[in-house]
Amino acid sequence: MKIVVCIKQVPASNDAKIDPETKRIIRDAVKSILNPFDNYALEEGVGLREKFGGEVIALTMGPPAAEAVIKEAIALGVDSGILLSDRAFGGSDTWATSYALAKAIEKIGNVDLVICGKQAIDGDTAQVGPGIAAHLNWQQATYLMEIKRKDEKVILAKRLHESGYDICEMTLPAVVTVVKGINTPRVPTLKGRLTSLNAEIPVWKPSDIDANVDQLGLNGSPTRVVRTDPPAPRLSSTIKIEGSAQHCAKELVRQLRLRSIV
Amino acid sequence: MHDPRDHIVNKIYHVEVLPPKQDSTKLLIDLDLFKEKYLRVLNSGYCVCITDNAMGIMAFQGHEIIEEMSLYVHPNQVMIHLNTFHTKADLDNILESCKNLKIESLLVITGDGSDRLPKLQPADIGESDVESVTSVELLRYIRRSYPNTFVLGVAFNPYEPPEHEFAKMKRKIAAGASFIITQPIIERNAQVDQLINEYPTIPVTVEAWMSKKLSLLSDAIGYEIPADTEYDPIETLKMLHEVYPQCGVYLSLVGFKTQYDLIKDVWK
Repeated sequence: MKIVVCIKQVPASNDAKIDPETKRIIRDAVKSILNPFDNYALEEGVGLREKFGGEVIALTMGPPAAEAVIKEAIALGVDSGILLSDRAFGGSDTWATSYALAKAIEKIGNVDLVICGKQAIDGDTAQVGPGIAAHLNWQQATYLMEIKRKDEKVILAKRLHESGYDICEMTLPAVVTVVKGINTPRVPTLKGRLTSLNAEIPVWKPSDIDANVDQLGLNGSPTRVVRTDPPAPRLSSTIKIEGSAQHCAKELVRQLRLRSIV
Repeated sequence: MHDPRDHIVNKIYHVEVLPPKQDSTKLLIDLDLFKEKYLRVLNSGYCVCITDNAMGIMAFQGHEIIEEMSLYVHPNQVMIHLNTFHTKADLDNILESCKNLKIESLLVITGDGSDRLPKLQPADIGESDVESVTSVELLRYIRRSYPNTFVLGVAFNPYEPPEHEFAKMKRKIAAGASFIITQPIIERNAQVDQLINEYPTIPVTVEAWMSKKLSLLSDAIGYEIPADTEYDPIETLKMLHEVYPQCGVYLSLVGFKTQYDLIKDVWK
């Protein structure tokens, strides 16, 4: 199985600043990290390769510094990575970004499965995965909590929704997005990190992927951000646990586990 | 397997060495620095103690650094901290590697987690009666899976409510702990005195805080130590040897440039 995992470098800080002119995040001022949801996509890709063989390629679009997340993906076990980086890509919204990624996936060739995290923590749109599927005209399923292989050409996707889940049969090639609960992402090993230090990351420009530059960047982006506001502060709540010490301790642990704190 | 009491009888310091962090931007330099400290401790005849994602900050594991850098191991002189924030596969890999490397000492702790660190689940290690995995369950698992392979130690926190901490210690000893290392203390401590009295046959090692910045201890102790507090680590180390001659000493945050050559004259 040839798998592409789409990943993104995002600002680490919750207090990222917004450019008042462009209404976009000022990325230079904050530390950048791998989008946390992409860890689950990478783990799923590497896990599927370990079970069924094949190859996993990490793909991202961003400035030259975004090479760091490709190296992180290699440290986590993917076989190789590709960075789409050029001025022409700058300012792309989710539609233009998914167009560029789709063109890169076509260029890679013979891809069976594209896996994305459910969304990036900077934009929170969850649109790029479905956008890639739309551009490629492939089947898609979002918010997956399990992927099983039925045979060489079909996977079973357990899709999470508000009132439960459903299981879809998907014919490959396909695009999926995955949620946090799908797996437990591994931590990079030293061997993996040392391998990533020496890895050569190819940088592809629009001409390398036969992309139409009119469909990239601000020109190719139908989205217009007219206003941004900080999110409303989160409401805090207090739970009072009463009863015997043993009951209180047990309930406290239960509440902490429900929130994945312990 | 070695007797953990040997460290005290033979005046072998436990010297903590922090492994490079996962987000290091100068990993190769950090690895060289680690190697230099590791070898220096071993060549001094002391025991090098390698932490496991201390404070929940992701770092590389001691065993993988030893393997990758082909560092030699003396069974009596290397101790790996092992906490409960690992996948089952990683835990088994660590234990298998330690066994193969002939690393005998493991300090088994519950540890500190973070968003990115996975937490062992009770079902992973065959514990169905508990809500979450602590050092007690981890000790039991190691004992069961690797009989007569490791010398297992546990931590004692004199800053926790004593009743709770001593009840926990009882469970740790019952689960197979054969030595105890305390949290840092900077003076005679009533809880440590009680610990020594309650477990006269278990070797106790007290942790000496070797950083001049005593205020960094605030989190461990649970109350604020002013940033400008004057503190002499070497004098405190001497005091600890006088007060607790029956104990070993674990040195945390020791300064390899300024302090290391001084400590060999302290415990003679």
